[in-house]
Amino acid sequence: MPEVARRERFTLGLTTSLKEFLRQPLQVVLLLALPPLVVEAYGQAMASFPALPFMGSMPATLGRINGAVFAAAFLAGLVGLFQVIAAVEADERLELAGFGRLELFARRLGTVLVVSLLAAGTSLAALLWQVDVAAPLAAYGALALAAGLYGLLGMLIGVALPRELEGSLVLVFLADSDDVLASGLANIDAPLTDLTPLHYPHAIFSAAVTDGSVASGDVTGGLAYLAVLGVAALAVYSVSLGQGGVLS
Amino acid sequence: MPNIENRVDGSEESTDGGRVIGEESNVVLRATGLAKTYDSPLPFTQSVEVLDGAGLELRAGEIVGIVGENGSGKSTLMKLLVGALDPDAGSVQASGRVGWCPQDPLLYDRLTVAETMRLFGRAYGMDDDSIDEALDRLAEQLDFERFRDYRIDRLSGGNRQKVNLAVALLHDPDVLLLDEPYTGFDWETYLAFWELTDELRERGTAIAIISHFVSERERFDRIYELADGQLSEVTENDIDDAGTTTSASPENDPTTEVARDA
Repeated sequence: MPEVARRERFTLGLTTSLKEFLRQPLQVVLLLALPPLVVEAYGQAMASFPALPFMGSMPATLGRINGAVFAAAFLAGLVGLFQVIAAVEADERLELAGFGRLELFARRLGTVLVVSLLAAGTSLAALLWQVDVAAPLAAYGALALAAGLYGLLGMLIGVALPRELEGSLVLVFLADSDDVLASGLANIDAPLTDLTPLHYPHAIFSAAVTDGSVASGDVTGGLAYLAVLGVAALAVYSVSLGQGGVLS
Repeated sequence: MPNIENRVDGSEESTDGGRVIGEESNVVLRATGLAKTYDSPLPFTQSVEVLDGAGLELRAGEIVGIVGENGSGKSTLMKLLVGALDPDAGSVQASGRVGWCPQDPLLYDRLTVAETMRLFGRAYGMDDDSIDEALDRLAEQLDFERFRDYRIDRLSGGNRQKVNLAVALLHDPDVLLLDEPYTGFDWETYLAFWELTDELRERGTAIAIISHFVSERERFDRIYELADGQLSEVTENDIDDAGTTTSASPENDPTTEVARDA
């Protein structure tokens, strides 16, 4: 197939995938409404906490930081999950019709990444309403990274557990506990907490909000995590397409 | 997994080694020794052996029925034939373009009918004009013109099935594999379906139709029955007055097929 036709086909695939997302009003409403709600709820809930030495920020600010990371990650994860669950069987038919497996994965991933950027934007906007952010661009990048990681995790969960309720429950518990562990709020000094998906995005985001610094080691670590999850999601998605849409 | 477009090239070559299949006898699809068992890595789940050495041949310009009881493995067989599942053993060879109409409409719920056709048309490698032309023709034949701008999830079950079938027919396939294609059709659409298949047969398309039972024996050139994981060709003597094979009885299976209701 000529390169132009291939590019047109991919563009058509991506735009139809985005249309599918935009035609789910609940997800669009969640994208707009959840970040302010979560950021403010986390901030208010933490406001009554004493300022303990290991916290690094005022409790309310720390709560809002955690809320922003959670909202961005969870929303993108949810979209990744539903992208896979709702469409993997139809994707399989489209593959049989002629789409490449990589093309189909890129189509889903493209939608998840677009939503990740939007989720990062709404989450940061919700934070900016109450908190002075030292380095907004770096903060946005960190949230986009968190959202991208969870978008991929959502896709992985969607293939391994292709049921909306169970998948959503796994995702919410994972994102919530990951957020708490990565933020240092639980004050657990164990090397394992460095391996959680939100560890690097949280480190970058907290620093960007509070003092405007960006540690290159955290950025490298976060991008490496993204690459590993991307490969894992592609592998699992590809296998599922050859199994009637599920891993069994 | 090879896709429909790539696994066949229209030059009578199969995908597994490039052998010509059945040039003399007009065989366009041949499955031999198909075996499939569903295993699960989870504890307390049973392995289910569905197919055990099933084989069939489809020739250009014939309509073949495949019948069997619920759970006999008809849909699994269809998925193996089309390449949606990989067999544990055996092989499938096909030549020409293949169209597949799955039992459950595998479509994108939030796309319109026209968007669905464009997406699948592009997947088949068609240009916009060919897609529009095919969509016009199929929408008229199957009577879903007024639903072209409707989203799939806003269609009734019968209309969704029409679109499901239209997707399989869009690229004018040489081999058409239909899994319970007329479930939910009204009588007019049911008749239009058979008119369409007769037209396709005359043009040389090979058609396999899976069904719970065969209600009108005369519409089929040959009938296979799937039982105990194997396919066997059914003769006239195996079909009772109700038009069913002895094991695939409608009494055991209150089907929704329109032919029975009519």
